[in-house]
Amino acid sequence: MKWAEKTIFVTGATGFIGARICERLVQAGARDIRALVHTLPRAARIARLPITLCPGDLLERSSLERAMGESQIVIHCGLAPARGIVRTTENMLQVAEARGVERFVHISTAAVHGLTPPPGTESEEARPRPSGDAYCDNKARAEKLVARFCRRGFPAVVLRPSIVYGPYSAWSTRLIADLRARRTVLIDGGRGACNTTYVDNLVDAIFLSLENDRAIGEIFFITDGERVTWGDFIRAHAAMMDPSPELREISGNDVLAHYQRQPGLLAGSFRATGEVVRSREFRKLLERIPLCERSLAMVWRWLQSRGEEEREKLRLRLGLRGSGVQNGTGHAAPSIPDPVTFATQTGTVFFRIDKARRLLGYEPRIPFSRAIGLVEQWLRFANYLPEEAA
Amino acid sequence: MNDEIRVAILGCGAITKARHLPAVLAHRGVRLEALVDLDSKRAQALAANYGLECRTLTDYRLLLGAVDAFIVALPNSLHASVTLDALRSGVHVLSEKPLAIRPEEARSCAEVAAQRNLVLAVGMNRRFQPASELFRLLLEEGRLGELRDYTGQYGGPYDWDTASGFYFSKEQAGGGVLLDYGVHVLDLLIAWFGPVVRFDYQDDDWGSGLEANALLEAQHAGPYGAVAGHLRLSRTYGLKNSLVVRGSEATAEIASADPATVILHRTLGGQPIRESLAIPGCDQAPSHSFYRQLDNFLASIRGLEKPRVDGWQALRVLELVHDCYAHRRRIPEPWAEPFEVASEVPV
Repeated sequence: MKWAEKTIFVTGATGFIGARICERLVQAGARDIRALVHTLPRAARIARLPITLCPGDLLERSSLERAMGESQIVIHCGLAPARGIVRTTENMLQVAEARGVERFVHISTAAVHGLTPPPGTESEEARPRPSGDAYCDNKARAEKLVARFCRRGFPAVVLRPSIVYGPYSAWSTRLIADLRARRTVLIDGGRGACNTTYVDNLVDAIFLSLENDRAIGEIFFITDGERVTWGDFIRAHAAMMDPSPELREISGNDVLAHYQRQPGLLAGSFRATGEVVRSREFRKLLERIPLCERSLAMVWRWLQSRGEEEREKLRLRLGLRGSGVQNGTGHAAPSIPDPVTFATQTGTVFFRIDKARRLLGYEPRIPFSRAIGLVEQWLRFANYLPEEAA
Repeated sequence: MNDEIRVAILGCGAITKARHLPAVLAHRGVRLEALVDLDSKRAQALAANYGLECRTLTDYRLLLGAVDAFIVALPNSLHASVTLDALRSGVHVLSEKPLAIRPEEARSCAEVAAQRNLVLAVGMNRRFQPASELFRLLLEEGRLGELRDYTGQYGGPYDWDTASGFYFSKEQAGGGVLLDYGVHVLDLLIAWFGPVVRFDYQDDDWGSGLEANALLEAQHAGPYGAVAGHLRLSRTYGLKNSLVVRGSEATAEIASADPATVILHRTLGGQPIRESLAIPGCDQAPSHSFYRQLDNFLASIRGLEKPRVDGWQALRVLELVHDCYAHRRRIPEPWAEPFEVASEVPV
């Protein structure tokens, strides 16, 4: 690929995958990279790069037309709320098709088969069936949309990574925070299939999809190609900590029994309300009311003046974090994982990457063991873990 | 009141909304004549939100000669040129930091202010935080003993949503976290420990000139002899947000979360103790650093005080920043470096 001659448009560029794509493009010698930026303050990481930050919104076609400019290559890994996934993908496809782009890489997800993929979904031949999860089902619909465009000659490739991790990934930062707060449990000993995809392996696959014409119109699972379990993933992070936290275990059946006892509607509504209230979008809207703006600023300053410990207590009290379940002895029993975590960590399917190997020439270059070492180095630099003594 | 000083605020973005305007409205010695912004709707909306009857304009030049002072809160690249324009027309200036992007521009501002006998104050509001003043007193009284070194860490995921978004434009911002946030800390450190005579600087700029992380090892020479320090700044990572200064007798800590307090760690009878020091009443209104900064500016215009941070002080900080950029090394990022090149994979 003559990177220096191409104009490349990346959506989701402020996210951890998109930002790494931009970094790797710069390292590869690309000189004209256009990054779609929805929320400018989040662009600090990619603002370091010699790229063009293009303000825009996946939901607004006209802004995409401006941002995409004369790009020949589009890498779409922009995130949208579950219900916006199809519409934003359609906007991207329409704008890119009208521009006559040479290649469109659509970052989908292995979760098109649901959070707990059923047996038989190991290879790309299996058709996604609705799982009931809005994110998964809409990602599957977005893939169908891409396929429709491909049938009329649009040069798109669909990549399905699974658990994408690496520096800046919330999988690692949240896990460290949860381990520190003793909120992490191994479900059924952590034997669920994790299907890790190290971010640089994914970027390799993206680059290969751009170069290889056999990729057009195809769908590929992209993982590290190793049978990494959730237990492996969680223990690898626990081992970075000193002292390494003792991991508690819980049986899947106990978790299911606990869910059945819960008033689902109320708890779900309470949690969702918390998420809405805490969201940036909601705050922005509130700030348009002068009185609210001042009150919010006061509350914010007050919150910031509290210690992290006190803020954490407050979050717990408001139900914004899953807390441990008390048992009769006064000791916290293992935390009950939320339903999404439970579903994610109890799958048995390991996705196969034979097709990517065969058609793309994809070979995961960074094995899990090395990737975890890089993640640890970054976690220490980023202050999520203490620096190692010299 | 006849002795009210007539001011205009230039730039109606985030810092004006959150800090300068509330300070001006709270101060009795000042009258707000106008809000100026290239986007007229922004200025009008701000005036309407506060129920203000001041003028709203898109061109500050219409105010030259009609007001006593400007508060300049525009994108960085405009600070120096607007300040010079104002000073040359006899208008006092309180400029947001950094006073300029290039040291020579800051020097021009300082020179013109001196020639015209006008007040040029630079918005280093941290100088007006009670903890900073308290720490200066601790130093002056020798409460830390012989000074050894300091460690400063300031950072968090960037969340400063300015109206113009200038901070991610090299042309408009001039630099990244060192120029944007670092000048606050460097100004304090230089004011306390004297000029930096030796340094080693690293950042993570990949070619845009807008670093998100910066590491500075500095050696000061000043009233307390040689003081070495380590400063870390970040726009991407949550850091401790505090300055720790170690001396032979005690260690002092100032945390950003509590700008009214200095924590002193020392021993008493061989026992480690922790003291929390504060000036009584300093956490009550009107004590906000922006209010006190404005108060110092107005008192300077009246000839009662000197600006705590003038153009010359801003210049020496900018010179250090400029030197850092000129001698920068890349922060090692082993997790981001190119990997061995496999066949056909372009890394």
